[in-house]
Amino acid sequence: MKNQELVDYLVSCGVCTICQLRYLRARGTEYNDINQSFQRLGVKVPENQLEDETNGISTDEQPLKKPRLSHCSTCLGIFSEDFQRELIEGIIASDFGKYDSEGIVLAITMPMSLQLRQLSMWFALQRKFGPTVHSNSPPDVPIKEAVKLILHPIICKKLDKKYDANGLMISIDLRHTVEEHEVDKLVELNRVAFPGKTLKRIEISRGLLEKQYQPSRVKAETYEKYLPIPPPAVDESLSLKSIDLQGPMVCVAGRYRKLSRELSHTPWLLQGVRQMEDSIEEIIIRSVGPHFTETVPKITFMSSGREDVDVRCLGKGRPFVLEIPNSRHSSLTKERALAMEQAVDKSGKVSILNLQVVPREQAMHIKTGEEQKRKYYRALCALKEPATLEILQKLQIPESFDIQQKTPIRVLHRRPLHTRPRTIYSVKARLQRDNPLVLVIDIVTQAGTYIKELVHGEFGRTTPSFSSIIGKPIDIQALDVVGIDLDWPPEVDNSLSQ
Amino acid sequence: MAATADPLEAFYFEHEEQQSICGQPVSPITDGFDANYPSVVDRFFTRYYYIRANAAYQVLYHSNRICLICLAPSHPALAQGVSTLSFDVGNVDRSQNVVKGKGKKGGMILQADSTLALLTTETGQTYKIPSCIRGKLVEVNAALVAEPKLLEQLPEGAGYFAILLPKIENCDLIREKLLTQEQYEEYLKTSHEQDTEHLETSKEQKEEEHMKANKEEPGHHGHGHSSPTAAKLYKFTVKVLKIAVKSL
Repeated sequence: MKNQELVDYLVSCGVCTICQLRYLRARGTEYNDINQSFQRLGVKVPENQLEDETNGISTDEQPLKKPRLSHCSTCLGIFSEDFQRELIEGIIASDFGKYDSEGIVLAITMPMSLQLRQLSMWFALQRKFGPTVHSNSPPDVPIKEAVKLILHPIICKKLDKKYDANGLMISIDLRHTVEEHEVDKLVELNRVAFPGKTLKRIEISRGLLEKQYQPSRVKAETYEKYLPIPPPAVDESLSLKSIDLQGPMVCVAGRYRKLSRELSHTPWLLQGVRQMEDSIEEIIIRSVGPHFTETVPKITFMSSGREDVDVRCLGKGRPFVLEIPNSRHSSLTKERALAMEQAVDKSGKVSILNLQVVPREQAMHIKTGEEQKRKYYRALCALKEPATLEILQKLQIPESFDIQQKTPIRVLHRRPLHTRPRTIYSVKARLQRDNPLVLVIDIVTQAGTYIKELVHGEFGRTTPSFSSIIGKPIDIQALDVVGIDLDWPPEVDNSLSQ
Repeated sequence: MAATADPLEAFYFEHEEQQSICGQPVSPITDGFDANYPSVVDRFFTRYYYIRANAAYQVLYHSNRICLICLAPSHPALAQGVSTLSFDVGNVDRSQNVVKGKGKKGGMILQADSTLALLTTETGQTYKIPSCIRGKLVEVNAALVAEPKLLEQLPEGAGYFAILLPKIENCDLIREKLLTQEQYEEYLKTSHEQDTEHLETSKEQKEEEHMKANKEEPGHHGHGHSSPTAAKLYKFTVKVLKIAVKSL
């Protein structure tokens, strides 16, 4: 089979130039200059075609409206300039302009007819050129791949965007008037071609079509009973069924501080009933989310650990990340970040700082090595008898020591029972000047230590505990987180924008 | 000067940094001190009681339904002196209990009257510690086996024998069956009155009829759920006997 013979046959079947190149197995950049590629492949370029293609496939100029020609029998016109124009217009008419993402990625769903027609042409080529055409490896560069090679760069260029797998996803669903009829025929064909696999309701997927429908598995004679070989050209072009936009996932990080002793981390539900009217998560998302997305409820809030409802979080605060899917914006100006920080401050309960967009990969920082992190606390503790020098001395522990901590009773109903070893890095107790029952104890521990239980020992379930160390009862009345040793996200002073 | 120096001087707390959050100064943690702050037990648990063989047991019922089984302060073993404690109750050793996962799979299922542990006193008496509630055994306090004397010394709750997890749907019924703190105090009062009554009657050599009345219901304090159960049992026994007689 010579290239010229192949092209002549394809032309006779109403196949467009791009698809001719596909059947010549052109790769990559070979689709950029069609004439040159034809010449290199030893194919004479027909005169009318030369004229037709001088504008090149990717030029913007609109040629004079020619009378509607029939569309390519194998791609149904997906590579035609008219269709490209329609596609671009469709994208621009969508909410595309609302997204500022620099990168885009296309996901085009094509009618099944394209796969059927590819098979039909495969049969046709086998008949025409005999066994030089394989039965299990397709004779062409698949349309899917050609679309990536040809359509994606053109669309990116016209929209002035870069290709980015993590960018704005433009899902385009294409349809064609012949599809319904051809799929009906396919259902009938499937019953005959694969009788054993007949299910009650035949649902033929594109994947199945790709896998099973090859000349090695379906006979041309069987196929021809339902659908023609070679595929006929069509009068109508492909049309756009829908364009869906899915913005990229944007991660916004910062640190929060919590001033209230009556604010839960996330919405607190008990048997479906709200226990507290607000939460850290909701306050932050309320102020940050709407700028980025219309689907605020889809935002995920993550933080480097969490504190109990009645614990304040002071110092530099606790790192957090919002994962915002379908985001319209991929950046955040300092001015806007400051406005968000100020909006959160208005809650009077939570404050955020260092608000910034971070690369998606970095959002993982918040969860990795959580067990190794050190946490700094200050506890307000109460003795039953006035503190003595001995008690105070016993609670000055500059060296680290290990404790064994059973799952606290307060969470035991919903967590497994374990005895966990935890390291306490240091303990430093001080006494309130006017009340000898009151101790302020600064504690540095391994993440995951339950501090309240470390103080009172929880009936001996945490050992040693401050209570067992001093040999007297000691209780905890209040707790503050004063530091979390994670140098992320980087410090950003958004107030400098003013 | 040296003699009057405060030895604790080096340990006093000073509220150092003046941090401001949400435009408000952060108050020192010491502001949160409350001289009347409730204890751990008072904060999270409700006290319930269970009486078995004239001895009272305490159930500390956590707001999340976890139960700690303890001796009530009035339990006679505390006065007699605790000698030994064992979770090997004959047919099974409760300390071999193993639970897995959130659902505490594999935990022994206990009924209110299942024996949880055996306690002997210095006076040679043995008490079968009941489970007090129906539920799954989550944990036993093995430290008590090595040092049973701790039971006499430990603060409230710390001398727990075991932690049980009742099923959510059984909780209402379980609490209904137990004595509340109020009922327990009432029980203590009546049993105490009866004790003194016993003493008085023996002293004053009261009329025989009175003695009889006391004998008829020995140790019965007209309290709790034991009497209806006893009455039911009695009725049932009578029924069975009647049937037996008939069949003869």
